[in-house]
Amino acid sequence: MTGTYRRPLRAAAGLVLMSVCVANAQSPPRSEYEIKAAYLFTFAKFVEWPARSARDDASFTVCVLGADPFGAVLDTTLAGALIRGRKVEGRRIAALDAATGCHIVFIGASEERRTDTIIPSLTASGALTVSDMPRFAERGGMIQFVTAANRVRFEINLASARQAGLTMSSELLRVASAVRNGSGPAE
Amino acid sequence: MSTLHGTISRRLTWMNMLVSSIALLIAGVAFAAYDLATLRAEIVRNLSIEAQMVGSHSVTALLFNDATAAEETLAALRASPAVIRAQVFTPDGHLFAAYSRDGSPALPPPRIPGGLTEMSEFDASSVYVARLVVSDGRPVGIVRIRADLREMYDRLAHFALIVVTVLLVSLAGALLVSRVSQRAISTPLAAVAAVARQVTQEKDYAVRAPHVETPYELAVLVDSFNAMLLEIQQRDRSLQEAQAQLEARVRERTDELHATNNELEAFSYSVSHDLRAPLRHVTGFATLLDQHAGPSLDDQGRRYLTTITDAAARMAKLIDDLLAFSRMGRASVSKRRVDLSQLVREARDEVSADLNGRRIAWTIDELPAVDADPALLRPVLVNLLSNAVKYTSTRDHARIEVGTETRASELVFFVRDNGVGFDMAYAHKLFGVFQRLHRADEFTGTGIGLANVRRIIQRHGGRTWAEGAVDAGATFYFSLPTQGAAA
Repeated sequence: MTGTYRRPLRAAAGLVLMSVCVANAQSPPRSEYEIKAAYLFTFAKFVEWPARSARDDASFTVCVLGADPFGAVLDTTLAGALIRGRKVEGRRIAALDAATGCHIVFIGASEERRTDTIIPSLTASGALTVSDMPRFAERGGMIQFVTAANRVRFEINLASARQAGLTMSSELLRVASAVRNGSGPAE
Repeated sequence: MSTLHGTISRRLTWMNMLVSSIALLIAGVAFAAYDLATLRAEIVRNLSIEAQMVGSHSVTALLFNDATAAEETLAALRASPAVIRAQVFTPDGHLFAAYSRDGSPALPPPRIPGGLTEMSEFDASSVYVARLVVSDGRPVGIVRIRADLREMYDRLAHFALIVVTVLLVSLAGALLVSRVSQRAISTPLAAVAAVARQVTQEKDYAVRAPHVETPYELAVLVDSFNAMLLEIQQRDRSLQEAQAQLEARVRERTDELHATNNELEAFSYSVSHDLRAPLRHVTGFATLLDQHAGPSLDDQGRRYLTTITDAAARMAKLIDDLLAFSRMGRASVSKRRVDLSQLVREARDEVSADLNGRRIAWTIDELPAVDADPALLRPVLVNLLSNAVKYTSTRDHARIEVGTETRASELVFFVRDNGVGFDMAYAHKLFGVFQRLHRADEFTGTGIGLANVRRIIQRHGGRTWAEGAVDAGATFYFSLPTQGAAA
């Protein structure tokens, strides 16, 4: 049996990363918010933000608006992570005013009543809006976590993302459980 | 003709075919090896591209744990007929999604050595490519694809078919080329060989091998061969001419010699014959004078008369011998079977008649029968025996031995005596006319006897010679050809 080996990576880095990965995978089943925190971070890879002076582009900011369901899990997930070469910063904000500079805003269930005002405001500021509250996408939110058969999935409202000037990768759309192109029922 | 032709052309054909076959086989194997290596690299490259595509489309599926999306991605491999199985693993080796064309068994997770993103493996029927799926520098999964090598084997079979076809075509070409080269090389060679055979078998130097222009070596060979033939032909012709000239000259000389000889014999015959008449007068009148005046003559007168009578008698004998010798030259030889013993006995009796009481010890061997003219052979024997008797007359115990020796193609007859012998220095003169080695008053004789012997033996195709030493006896030999070895 012959083998051909190609494209060596930076060997040491690859090894380290892989061992980290394997270690994570072998840990006991992750909690719902562990998974969601990981997804939140992963979305950043498949979404492009327009360059805008208003945002501090020195770091990548993930904000949690309202009651924080993640707790320490989010900080653990984001610690040391890089998005497009930038450090990732996790921030908890209580009010919409503090959302300036946020790339991704997770809207906690506590804000459900104010959602209809929050969404347009965040969309206008060019932030990616994510929540797990019901009918979030239908109401103009960009990504809504849905949990079915013990699996965490998500719906995407592509129109809202476009409205915010965000570009979503087709790969992301492919794994979405539903993609809507505006308000109303999903396609 | 056909054998040489066949051998050379067959050799050329075989050589052509062998060379082209070897060249083609080597080229074919080299090309096949190169093609196989290229093809394997190409197959691996194509599979690598597929794995890369599957991997990049599986990133989100892996990251967002969507096996269905990954399976949809894998299903796109249906477009590649060679791919029989593809699987996506999580980085820790758990099966995430799978695709199978024909229900082939699941593959175990690959073990990609650290530092590599891809590896490929071959077994007899398949090639396996495994590739890390990387997102943002982190491995998020592994894609493993198995493809069968039917394409490669098909291509190899095609290649083999092409090589065999080309081989057959070029062998046919080689056959054709050898036909042409046969015309250029073996045909002139065969012609030279045929001419050479004709020359050796029929001694015909007039034939020539057909001239050729190319190839150069053959042209030289043919031309040199022809030049050699021309040379031989010319020498042969001049040799024949010289021989013919020589024969003509010999014939001419022989004719002249014959004429002269005949003249000489006729002359000596007539001289001898004409001498007899006056001699008869001398003898007759000497006798008459003796009768008429014998009693009145004194002793001296009678001595003179006796001398005259003796001399005349000796001369008459001489003339008779000369005439006999002369006749011998012309007499024809009529051979028949002759009992040599009988002839020798008669000759001995003849020569023993006037021995005056001498005692001679004869030793006569058993003698064979020979082919000869008895009328001619008889005087030979008488002459030789009387010589032996004559030259042993001074011996108290005369011994004469007669015998024969059989040699390759002749019978040698000899007469040996213990007489006065002769000096071997004069042996060559013994058989000449009027050649005498002893004074006449010592031993009587005319000097014609041995000349006559030689002549008769020569007429029989034989030879004469003698051995001897002064006072130590002599042996006279003659030979007669046996079994018709000579005329």
